[in-house]
Amino acid sequence: MCQKHNEFTQNPSHFEGSQEEQATANLVELDYKEYIKDMKFFDPHIHMTSRTTDDYQALADAGVVAIIEPAFWLGQPRTGLSTFKDYFSSLVGWERFRSSQFGIKHYCTIGLNSREANNEALAEQVMDILPLYLYKEGVVGVGEIGFDDQTPAEEKYYRLQLELAKEAGLPVQVHTPHRDKKKGTERSMAIALEHGIAPEMVIIDHNNEETVKSVLDQGFYAAFTIYPFTKMGNERMVEIVKQYGSERIMVNSAADWGISDPLAIPKTAALMKIKGIADEDIRLVTYQNAITAFAQSGQILVEDFENPVIIDQSLKYNGNTILRGGQQPRVNKDSIFIR
Amino acid sequence: MQQHNLWEILQKNASEKEIVWLTSKSTLPNKGIQTAFVATPRFISRKPLVAENTPFETWTLDRLARVYLLMCLDSSDETAYVDLLETLFDTAEMNEAVALYVALPYLAYPNRWLLRATDAVRSNVGIIFDAIAFHNPFPKTYFNELAWNQLVLKCIFNDKPILLIDGLEERSNQALADTLSDFAHERWAAGRTVPSEVWQLVKGFVTETILEDLKLLQQSNRQEDREVATLLIHNS
Repeated sequence: MCQKHNEFTQNPSHFEGSQEEQATANLVELDYKEYIKDMKFFDPHIHMTSRTTDDYQALADAGVVAIIEPAFWLGQPRTGLSTFKDYFSSLVGWERFRSSQFGIKHYCTIGLNSREANNEALAEQVMDILPLYLYKEGVVGVGEIGFDDQTPAEEKYYRLQLELAKEAGLPVQVHTPHRDKKKGTERSMAIALEHGIAPEMVIIDHNNEETVKSVLDQGFYAAFTIYPFTKMGNERMVEIVKQYGSERIMVNSAADWGISDPLAIPKTAALMKIKGIADEDIRLVTYQNAITAFAQSGQILVEDFENPVIIDQSLKYNGNTILRGGQQPRVNKDSIFIR
Repeated sequence: MQQHNLWEILQKNASEKEIVWLTSKSTLPNKGIQTAFVATPRFISRKPLVAENTPFETWTLDRLARVYLLMCLDSSDETAYVDLLETLFDTAEMNEAVALYVALPYLAYPNRWLLRATDAVRSNVGIIFDAIAFHNPFPKTYFNELAWNQLVLKCIFNDKPILLIDGLEERSNQALADTLSDFAHERWAAGRTVPSEVWQLVKGFVTETILEDLKLLQQSNRQEDREVATLLIHNS
């Protein structure tokens, strides 16, 4: 992807800090965890389906205690209803279990993504099964839905799903398009308001410097995806928080099958700390605001992840820990021996 | 276990508000009960049950409520009844799946659930495997020998406590005993151990090969191994 690597590192495209800050950042790069060792994080957008078990380990080690996995496009279009159904089931089943093995609480949002809304014949069938999933435990919203190419079909299913969210009393997680982003974001917000959805029930995702002001001014939550090359860098994110504060702002990694970083939130928190952002503001944008927004679903119990000893009574049989599904044993990755 | 017993335990554990909700849902047509099953945790708490000496003592209240709702389904039309439950299985999240598997002994048309039950044994999700394997009378009643032996072997392989399996002694068999001997040889070759309680499964099926295993086990540095081996050799 980045063939001329040296050239790239010498010319950081979005670096906003002073030379002194850059020097400090380089110095601490290797042990950034020192700056966040007592913090805990909530990643409200990460596609663990596309990640390995090593990433769960890394998330747990970095202080990520809970995550939300939005339903999305898997990289190629699905051809039938069954694959959609199996995918939704894996978000409330297998992935939830995999996550629990590392002590991370896993929530999800369920929805028909914008790209696949363009296959109308299939989209109709998917709409039929969505209500079966939206009322399930731990489903904290309808998402990620919205616009990609901004076609009439995308608009149609965005509107229909807004109605589902309204009926179920669930927050909406809105994907904003890569192309023609500013107009797409404005349109997404206008349509949500038109359907009578309160702005505080809507999390507008993948914001940047150009979209944030309008999103906040209209009362929506503004999520920022820290994702190399195509979305936000975390140095830019620090500047956003300096300028707009911490109210209704949250960061996420949106880590998926692309070149992305599941540790985007801990790294951004460390950078904020280094750059002098107050601890309370860091806590709000990397943890609390996401919880406040998605807990409007009634499906988030903070005790489930703030109490690290036993996560869920229903997962315990007679106090026998091996029966809770058991936390995974630690493996020393630097050892040449595999036992 | 009869439906009214289950209802008694529910009444003992649930609040008045929860009982009102359950009562109103339990008399709905099947489709309404299906939705109530999914929505249960929104109305019924997840607290552990007070139910000593019943099959439910390790359950939570929402799980018992879900099983109760399933028992209230009208099963007179077999096809419609099975379809409705299959949809619940197909779309289940983890706690729903557990409730479905622990409910298997109480469902109508038990032979229609055999594939589901063996699928749960194949599951890598710990609590789903546990739901079919432990304190559940469905496998001992309906599993054939092959399925039964897979259940026991997978339990041992995953270092789970076999003593929680219902019917362990009455369903033990020669094929299982022989496979356990092979399994022990593999473990020993890898420098690993076999939990000593596993050897109880060879009781009544001690062949020449297994006798050799037991003699070897008598030299184990773990006391519980030596005890179980001596006892089995003495009884064989």
